[in-house]
Amino acid sequence: MREEVRRIRELLEQQAYVTDAAVATSLYLAMALAKPLLIEGPAGVGKTEIAKVLAAALSTRLIRLQCYEGLDATTALYEWNYSKQILHIKLQESAPVSVEEKEASIFSEAFLLKRPLLEAITDQTRSPVLLIDEVDRSDEEFEAFLLEVLSEFQITIPEIGSIAATHRPHVVLTSNRSRELSDALRRRCLYLWIDYPPFEKELRIVRARVPSIGEALSSELTRVIQNSRTLGLSKVPGVAETIDWAASLVALNAGHLDIDVVRETMGCFLKDESDQQKFEREISRRFDEMAGSGS
Amino acid sequence: MNSKQLESNLPELVLFCRALREEGLCATPAETIAAARTLDLIDLSDREEIFLSLRGILTSCVEEFERFEDLFERFWNRFDNAKPPQRDFGSENRSTSRRPPRSSQEQERKGLAFFLENWGASRTDANEINLPAAGNTAADNEKDFSLFSAEDLEEIGRLARRIVRRLYSRPSRRWKLSPRGSRVNPRASIRAAMKTGGELIELSFRRRKNKKTRLVVLCDVSGSMDIYSRLLLQFVYAIQNSLARVETFVFSTSIERITGRLKNRTYELALESLRETRGWSGGTLIGPSISGFNSKWSRLVDRRTIVVILSDGWDTGEPEELAESLSGLKRRAGKLIWLNPLLANPEYQPLTRGMQAALPHIDMFAPLHNLQSLRALECHLVL
Repeated sequence: MREEVRRIRELLEQQAYVTDAAVATSLYLAMALAKPLLIEGPAGVGKTEIAKVLAAALSTRLIRLQCYEGLDATTALYEWNYSKQILHIKLQESAPVSVEEKEASIFSEAFLLKRPLLEAITDQTRSPVLLIDEVDRSDEEFEAFLLEVLSEFQITIPEIGSIAATHRPHVVLTSNRSRELSDALRRRCLYLWIDYPPFEKELRIVRARVPSIGEALSSELTRVIQNSRTLGLSKVPGVAETIDWAASLVALNAGHLDIDVVRETMGCFLKDESDQQKFEREISRRFDEMAGSGS
Repeated sequence: MNSKQLESNLPELVLFCRALREEGLCATPAETIAAARTLDLIDLSDREEIFLSLRGILTSCVEEFERFEDLFERFWNRFDNAKPPQRDFGSENRSTSRRPPRSSQEQERKGLAFFLENWGASRTDANEINLPAAGNTAADNEKDFSLFSAEDLEEIGRLARRIVRRLYSRPSRRWKLSPRGSRVNPRASIRAAMKTGGELIELSFRRRKNKKTRLVVLCDVSGSMDIYSRLLLQFVYAIQNSLARVETFVFSTSIERITGRLKNRTYELALESLRETRGWSGGTLIGPSISGFNSKWSRLVDRRTIVVILSDGWDTGEPEELAESLSGLKRRAGKLIWLNPLLANPEYQPLTRGMQAALPHIDMFAPLHNLQSLRALECHLVL
């Protein structure tokens, strides 16, 4: 394994982010090749977390752009501060300045509201981490616009001119696959798929994120979660739910899982009524066996 | 393997990328260059690292992982055995690819594609085709699909365009400049005010853009449905080529996406490529097919999506599975429409067990057996 990859892995683990070779290698390459990293996977497996942890590990700024339908350039890139512009014009009304001068003054950077993408490009000190979260929720128009920004890292504001990045941001895109992304965008990015973690990894995650949890409880609850993912639930619990559940159990001072504790707290990781019913039937049937093998 | 071996074998990497391309992965020269750069950056004695790195570069969705892994395995073994480079890397792969060579099976399959291809011919000997629906054959505009004329095909095209216009007419959250808009557009207003020394005299307005509704069509192509699916596919082909956002799938015992095969081609080319798809005119397993759709393609369905299922509801699977898969689909979709050609028969009662299980989850249950019913469908394709 390359030294840098190992180093990234260490840095991530220091931030209590349990990782594996695939994540570390992808992050290393994304930085080395200066390519955006597209992360896909089911909800709650820690896609967004990667960007946060990366920013913390590199001790740089995290700039987040949350995508939603209808997101457009004025919300993602920049907007002029209109009220400030109007005020400025009014104040200057009697001043002996020409229209051209007025125009130049109100279309200067002092009147510019920077939105995340422009913010990420104009960082003067060091490369920030730019997280473009849930890019699948934006629409095609925005995706096309994003492509342009990601390929050049240069933005043109008609009134000011072109602004090129002095420090290229590390770009992380996440997608829940609610919509198929365009091939063009996919091609521009490195691709990383994060799936639900296997038992050992999830156990390590639980212990890293909820350090006060007991050994027996952590492996029991991880096993329950792992089993619940095989039941064909409509909303499969992610790692975020596992951590929530672990934290709740610790707060309730539960040392072991028994059927009543599970019943009372399953709302932490099952957010759908029919899932809860299905799970309850299954867990009643299998509880003894699971508790036995988990300890 | 050591790094010298790999460097001296850069042509191998190019062959590898070409082989991936033949498997349908997007490994263009740009990706090949990125892959070559990557090999400089990583530990070439670590097989896992090479695998993960190349996978990150050369795949672009998780569905491609399996194909990538297969090919990587071959690629790697070639290195380990340090064989001299062989030119036929791609072709040796081709011969073992999953798709059976199309030869004699083509005739046996004789599926929807066959019917589509023989569109012209079947029009003349339509009388020989036994229609499952007791059609109303009297009125001119109610004649069955098997009797299509050129004008009818044109009418299908017109209908398709009308429906596309409908699908586009919902307000979105995006704005556009419009003199008759209801909201002031500050950016353009300020800009216009510069002409008058900063006095806002003429305001600029904006309004909501229209939003595009998506259509997902799941078409039953089992034996009993051949004639109707032919119409619907012709119809979907027309819609897709009016620039609407339509995804098309066909199913009998399993489901397959044919959007790409219908898109951006002439109708003849579309027919040609449909011939390669499998599973036409077999039995019907609606439940498992829709489950398959849910697990693999559900990301195509959201609340702005109308899902149209065209099937006669003759299902050999378990009704429970059908009900469950439909309720899953219903939860995500804006509207679920089931078109059943048998419904045209006044004596028809949806009593098949499959249909019984399906009904509670359907927003609209309508007949589709002729142009008239297609026209009626037009007004239901809105959210």
